Amino acid sequence: MIIYYISLALRSLRSTPILSALMVAAIAVGVGAAMTVLTLNYMMSRNALQHKDNVLYAVQLDSWDPNKANDTANEIPWQLTYQDAQALLRSDIPTRQVAMHRFGFTVEREDSHLRPFVASARVTSRDFFALFDVPFLYGGTWDSAADQAHTQVVVLPKATNDRVFAGENSMGKSITLNGEPFTVVGVIDHWNPAPKVYDLTNSPFADAESLFVPFGLHRQFEIDTWGNDSGWDSGSKSEGYEGFLQSESVWIQYWVELRDGEQKQQYETFLTAYIQGEKAQGRFQRPLKFALSRPSEWLRLNKVLRNDNRVLGWVSLAFLLVCVINGVALLLAKFLRKAPEAGVRRALGASRSALFIQHLIESAAIGVIGGIAGIVVALVGIRTSRHLAMGWIDTVASMDWLMMLAAIGLALFASLLAGFYPAWRISHTNPAIYLKTQ
Amino acid sequence: MLKMHNIRKSFRTDTIETHALRDFSLEVKEGEFVSVTGPSGSGKTTFLNIAGLLEPSTDGQYLLDGEDVSNLNDRQRSHLRNEKIGFIFQGFNLIPDLNLFDNIDVPLRYRGFNAKERRKRIEKVLEQVGLSARARHLPAQLSGGQQQRIAIARALAGEPRFLLADEPTGNLDSLMARQVMELLEFVNEWGTTIVMVTHDPDLARRAQRNIQIVDGQVCDLRPVTEQSDAVSA
Amino acid sequence: MFEFKPILSTLWHHKASALLIALQLALTLVIVSNTLLIITDRMEKMARPSGMDIENILTVNFLAIPQDYDMAGAVRADLDMLRALPGVVDATHSHQIPLSGSGSANAFQTQPNQETGGEVANYYRTDPHFIESLGLALVTGRNFTETEMQVLAPNEQRQAPVIIVTRQLADKLFPGEDALGKPLYNGDSPMEIIGIVERHLGAWPEWSKAGNVVFFPALRTTQSMNYLVRTESGERDALFKLLADKLAERDSERVIEVNTLSNHMARSYAVDNMMVKVLSTVGAMLGFIVALGIVGLTSFWINQRTKQIGVRRALGATRTNISRYFLVENSLIAATGIALGAAAALIANQYLVRDYSQPVLTLLPLGICALVILLVSLGAALAPALRAANISPATATRSV
Repeated sequence: MIIYYISLALRSLRSTPILSALMVAAIAVGVGAAMTVLTLNYMMSRNALQHKDNVLYAVQLDSWDPNKANDTANEIPWQLTYQDAQALLRSDIPTRQVAMHRFGFTVEREDSHLRPFVASARVTSRDFFALFDVPFLYGGTWDSAADQAHTQVVVLPKATNDRVFAGENSMGKSITLNGEPFTVVGVIDHWNPAPKVYDLTNSPFADAESLFVPFGLHRQFEIDTWGNDSGWDSGSKSEGYEGFLQSESVWIQYWVELRDGEQKQQYETFLTAYIQGEKAQGRFQRPLKFALSRPSEWLRLNKVLRNDNRVLGWVSLAFLLVCVINGVALLLAKFLRKAPEAGVRRALGASRSALFIQHLIESAAIGVIGGIAGIVVALVGIRTSRHLAMGWIDTVASMDWLMMLAAIGLALFASLLAGFYPAWRISHTNPAIYLKTQ
Repeated sequence: MLKMHNIRKSFRTDTIETHALRDFSLEVKEGEFVSVTGPSGSGKTTFLNIAGLLEPSTDGQYLLDGEDVSNLNDRQRSHLRNEKIGFIFQGFNLIPDLNLFDNIDVPLRYRGFNAKERRKRIEKVLEQVGLSARARHLPAQLSGGQQQRIAIARALAGEPRFLLADEPTGNLDSLMARQVMELLEFVNEWGTTIVMVTHDPDLARRAQRNIQIVDGQVCDLRPVTEQSDAVSA
Repeated sequence: MFEFKPILSTLWHHKASALLIALQLALTLVIVSNTLLIITDRMEKMARPSGMDIENILTVNFLAIPQDYDMAGAVRADLDMLRALPGVVDATHSHQIPLSGSGSANAFQTQPNQETGGEVANYYRTDPHFIESLGLALVTGRNFTETEMQVLAPNEQRQAPVIIVTRQLADKLFPGEDALGKPLYNGDSPMEIIGIVERHLGAWPEWSKAGNVVFFPALRTTQSMNYLVRTESGERDALFKLLADKLAERDSERVIEVNTLSNHMARSYAVDNMMVKVLSTVGAMLGFIVALGIVGLTSFWINQRTKQIGVRRALGATRTNISRYFLVENSLIAATGIALGAAAALIANQYLVRDYSQPVLTLLPLGICALVILLVSLGAALAPALRAANISPATATRSV
C-alpha cells in the first residue's frame, strides 16, 4: 500500500509541476540554509578530546594585575607565565602534563631542492602526544631531558614529512630549522582537531602546527610566542631575554591529565600551596584563584561558538519555520484543489486514515526531494561561507555523512510538519459534497 | 439487504444545501432494483450518503446486509463501503489524473488484493463494459457514455452486493442513457441490489419499485406500475 | 465602497489560510527587522575610515633564516631599495602589520608610575616614513626625525623619548586640552607627544578601543620583520611580484611573504562580511518565499471563487472593484501579520541584546521593515488580483 501511496504522490507532484517545484524549492532553501548554519555550528561545537573529557584539565592561575582582574570569562588569564609553567612542570602529581605555546621556524633541508618555507611550530613538553592521543607513524616523543636542556630534535606531522622527506621514514634524518640542524625523532599521523581545543588563543579553527619541538629550546633560540602574549607589569626584574622569561607576561598554555578525583584533589592542594608560596615572595597579589577546566568546559569558556554563530542558528531555524508555514499554506491549497478526488476515494472505500497517510506521504515525498536538494544548497552554502570567512573556518567548513542524513531528516520532519494539517483537513472533509454534481 | 429504521439526520453547518431526514424508515430486499425520486431538497442526497456510509446518521438504526452499521467507526465503515457498496454518480467522478485501468484499480487497492487479482478483475469488468481496448486512456479522452461505463466498471470491480446510483444518466444523451440503463438492468439480473436516485420519471418507472422522498420522509411505497405520472422533475 | 464585511466573513471562512499568511509575514518581520539591524551595524563598522590608503599598500613579512642575522643592516638596505623602485611612493618598517589581527598593546598613562587608569592603546615601532607610507594625515606637530630612531636588541626595554599618537587617543587622555607636547608614561620615563595623526584603526578593528594607537621611532632586531610599501595609485598589483623578487634577489637568507593591506583588512572583517552576506541572502530568500506563498494562495482563492467573481461582475461590479476586493483582503491579512510581527520582533530583539549582545531595535527601522513587507505582500497579491478582474461576467452563466 505504501508503494501505491508513493506512486500516487509522485503522480500528484507531476500533475502540478510548478506548485510542486515551488514547494520543493521552499523546503530545499529552508533546509539548505538551516543545514549550512547548523553544520558549521555543529562542527564548531565538536570536542576532539571528548573521549578524555573526564581526565584532561586546562590549568589557569590568577597571576594578574592586583589592581584589575583579567578580562576573560572567569577573570583568570587563559595562559601562564613561563616561570609558573616551569614550576608546575616540576610537580609529579599529574599522570601527564604539558606546557606549550605556538611559534614558527624557517624550514630547509640540506642538499635538497626544497624551497625554504616558514612553518608554524608547537614548542611543548614531551607529554603532548600521549596526553592528547596523537598517533605516531614512526618513532615517538623526545626524552625528558630535552624539555630541560637544549636538544635539537623535532617531531614532524605527516604533511610536513611528506613535504620535506617525500613521505619516507625520516627518523634520525636532519632538517634545518632557523638555520640550525634538528634531528627527526618521530613522525605523527594526520591529526588536526577542530576546534583546536588544546590552544584556542589564536584562531580556534586554525590547523594544527607543522612542527613540534621540545620545551627546552627557549634560551638557545630566544623563542617568544607566535600567539597571544599579555602583560601588566612593565617593571621587569632583569634585562634581555631572561627578563622576558621571568616577566609576568602570560603566554604558555598548560594542560594536565588527572586520572581520578583523588589525584585532582592532590593537584588542587599542590596549586594552592604553590600560589601561597609565591604570594609570600610578593607575586600573586590577587585573591588566591586558579581553575582546572575539562576540554568541554574549556571550549565553552573560550566561546568557541561565537554569539554570531548562535544568532545565525536562530535566524536559520526561524527561516526554516517560515518555509514550513509556507509549505502548510501551499499544501493546503494543493490538497483542497484535489478534494473531489479525495471524495471519490472515500466513496470507493478509502478510510480517513488511508487518505491522511496518502497525503502525508505526498508531503514526505516533497520533503525527501527537498532534502536532497537542500544538501546541495547546504554544500554550496558551506563552500560560500568558507570562501567568505577567508580561512578562519577551513577546518570546520565541511559536511559529513551524519549531517547529510540530518539534512534529509530535517527536510522530512519539516515537510511532515507542513503536511500534517492539510492532510488532516483533506481526510476529514465530508466526501459527499464533492460527489454531487453542482 | 438494506434496512433503515427511524433515521434522523440534521446538519449544523449552513453551507450544505441538504435538508435533514426525520423518522426515515425503509427496507430494500436483496436483488431489488429500487428507484428513489423526490423534489429538489427533499433529502434524496442525504439518504444516498447515509445509505452509502459516506455520512453517519444522527439517530436511528441502519442495517446493511443484516449488520448494524449505525455505530461503526470510520475505518469499519470504509471497509464495508469498499466491500459491499458500489457508487455511480451523475458526474461520473473518474479521477482525471488516472487512466481507466488505474481508476478501476482504486477500490481494489483499498480492498488489499494482490496485483494479479486486481489485473484479473479489472480486465474482466473492462470487457463487461466493452472498453478493454482503451484501458490506458485518460477519462478526458472518452465520451460521457463511455466515462459512465467505466464508472460502472469501477463500481463493479469489487463485486459489491449493493449498487448506489445517483442520477446515473443525468449528464448523458438519451441513446447513451439507454445503454447505461441496460447495463444496470443487466447487473441487477445477475443479483446485485440497486438503489437509483433520479428525477426522471421514465427511468424511475423502469425500476421494480419506486420510493418517493418528500421533506425528509418516505412518502409513498407503491409498485412502480401503479404510480401516476405526477412526479415532478 | 470598501466591502469590509464580506471580506471579513470570507476571511473567517478561510481562516486557516489567512492565518498562515499572517504568521509568515509576522515571522518575516521578526527576522528581517532584526537581521537588518545586525547588517547595518556591521556595515557601519566595516565602513569606518581606517585612516590609511588601504588600496595602495603592499605588506611584506619575512623571517630570517640565520640566527645571527643582521636585521638592522637588512632593513636599511631593503628600504633604500624599495623606496628607489619606480611606482613606490614610500616604504617603512613596522613591527606589526596594521589591520592584520596581530599587534601589540599597552596601557599609557598621563602620570609616571601610575598603577591604574590611563588608556590601553595599540602601538607600533616604526620609522619617520610611516606617515607617508600609510597615507596618514598629520594633524598637528611634527614627524619623527632619523636621529630619534632607536635600534633595540630583541628583548631590550628602552622607552622612546618621543611618540606620535592618534587624535582619538589624545582626546581620551587629554579631554579638552591640547595633547601636543604633553608626556605619556608607561612606567617612569616620559614620552613626549610630538605629533598627532588624524586616525589609524590599529591592529584589531574588532577591538572596543580600536583607533587608540601610539607610534615609536624604533627598530627591534628580531628574526622577523614587516615592511609597508605604498605604491602610486593603481600600481600595487603590478609591483606585488616585483617586490617579492627584488627582496629575495637582494638577500635570499629569508622566507618572504608579500600581501596587500586590503587583504589583511578583508580578513579582519571576514566574520562581519560573512554575517552581512549570509543575513542579506536569508532576508532576500525569505521575501521571495513569502511572496511566492502569497501569490500561490491568492491564486488558489481566486480560482475557488471564479464563479462568485463572475456573479459579482454580472451584477455590476467593475474590474477595479474586484481587484480592490482582493487587495483589501490581502492588506487586512498583512496588517494583522505585521502587528503580530512587530511585537514579536521587539521581544526577540530583547533576547538578542541580552544573550548575544546585538544592537537594540528601534521603532524607525522596524517601521521601515513593516512597510517593505506590506509592499511585498501587496505586490505579490497584485498579479492574481488583476487576473481576477479579468474574469468574464459570462462565467456566472456557465454551469460546469
